[in-house]
Amino acid sequence: MKRRAIRIPNLGGAQAIILHRPHPTVQALSRQLTAIGLQVVQTWPELGPEALAADYIFFDADMGHDGMFPWEPGQPPIPMIALIGSEAPGRIEWSLKVGSHAQLLKPVGDGGAYSALLIARDAFDAQKALSAEIADLRRRLQERQTVVRAVTLLAARGKSDAEAYAQLRQMAMAWRISFENAAARIVAAQGGADDRSERR
Amino acid sequence: MGLRRQIKLGILLSRSGSYSLISEACRSGALAAIAQVNGDPALDLSFVPVERDPGGNIDAYAPLCEEILRDAGARHMVGCVTSWSRKEVIPTVEKYGGTLWYAVPYEGFEASDHVVYTHACPNQHLLPLLDWVMPAHGRRTYLTGSNYIWGWEMNRLARERIMAAGGEVMGERYLPIGSRDVGRMIEEVRFARPDFILNSLIGPSSYEFMAAYRAMGLEDAAFRPDRCPVLSCNVTECELPALGQAAEGLVAAGPYFRGAPGAGNFGSSHEAAAFSAVMELARLLAGREGSETWPLSQLLAGRGGIVDPETHHTVLPVVIARVEGGAFRTLKRWEAVAGDPYLTRSRSIPTPSLRVVS
Repeated sequence: MKRRAIRIPNLGGAQAIILHRPHPTVQALSRQLTAIGLQVVQTWPELGPEALAADYIFFDADMGHDGMFPWEPGQPPIPMIALIGSEAPGRIEWSLKVGSHAQLLKPVGDGGAYSALLIARDAFDAQKALSAEIADLRRRLQERQTVVRAVTLLAARGKSDAEAYAQLRQMAMAWRISFENAAARIVAAQGGADDRSERR
Repeated sequence: MGLRRQIKLGILLSRSGSYSLISEACRSGALAAIAQVNGDPALDLSFVPVERDPGGNIDAYAPLCEEILRDAGARHMVGCVTSWSRKEVIPTVEKYGGTLWYAVPYEGFEASDHVVYTHACPNQHLLPLLDWVMPAHGRRTYLTGSNYIWGWEMNRLARERIMAAGGEVMGERYLPIGSRDVGRMIEEVRFARPDFILNSLIGPSSYEFMAAYRAMGLEDAAFRPDRCPVLSCNVTECELPALGQAAEGLVAAGPYFRGAPGAGNFGSSHEAAAFSAVMELARLLAGREGSETWPLSQLLAGRGGIVDPETHHTVLPVVIARVEGGAFRTLKRWEAVAGDPYLTRSRSIPTPSLRVVS
């Protein structure tokens, strides 16, 4: 599969929250982020509700724990970057579990923040796009049985399976609805049950 | 006033190799400023130059930088021409708490705590140049460059801006630094027939390309500079002798061109940028005993001046100029444009932050 092009985010005025106790690493990271053009807020030991309005979270992977984030564990609504000091398997596992999209090794020095921002944004976008695609595929999989039924109903009028399938596609296009919704309409019209557990 | 403080100042420039003309321009600017500082009775300091010459060899930069900062004990140095060499020395400069004063246009996307950038970055050269050329000549371009970060990143940014303006990139090709093998590029340009060419080649590659392009223009008027100009963000007066007639009609962007009013009398913007780097350093150090050992952040704090304490970039004029009769003639000029290395401070289009919280 061809990789989609990276989207260079507009970082001017974007807000970053650094969830880390006051430390030279926070200073060095703030300097980098400010130079790039972001607004920086440092906070510890947990994120307040203002995190929901931020654009990026940098969090301490060494002293971190699940209760730090005001959202479901592993479901961050914005890109997260782990600040990793001790490269211990347990800590890395935890930072992955909370949903980090990129990492920056401590001590933070003169560089690293810009690539972490871009990589985290890209991973976050990719994850979001994939989740949406998977949800859509799941839904279509569930609706497959409805499609099979609709095709069978249409084929019962003396058409081949391929012809029935083509007819269903044409109906969907004419009605300007999805293939699956057209199938559901056929099945319903014939008094059959709709298999779809959830309609969207 | 007592004895003048003797402050070592490193100069790390390649006096031979493929970009030596630019090095020499930076060097004369730096030495002229050192002479002026040392001859100024109002100052309490003198600079003692510590020169090292990497000879255009990329692997010599970091060790020679270490000689300047560790062995000679300097904290500040002027130097580097290519971005590649700058990126090579930054870890060493950081390690010894030093500062590199960099006086060459570059591709942006950097704001080291240990570098001051006294020449232009893309919002001060490439973007105004594209804004000028597209309405004047069209939006179909051919991109060339030397095979390292300067060429790559300039062309990436140019492509992004040209596509956003509804333009077209007809071709994009690179040459290794020092290569004169421009035949394929020239043939591609001949068939692509672009509206303008962006030339981010350096040294002999650029000289060869310009000469071959001029020859093609003599055969076919579609490739004359008035129809399809070559643009550059790195050619200055210091390379005009090497380019000769081939430079005629080239359009360049830079902070200074020879003869600009009220800006001193420099041979080129490289010379001007190196000069202003040393003069600004002298101003920051003057009258502050012991400040020669301070980190850059401390030196800059609360002193005003030309260096933005957040980005370490400078406010510069932006001049677009065309070579006519062996000299640059100004086409367009903006007085004071702040360096915006990440393109986040200027020209950014504020977009509402749309987020689905589910």
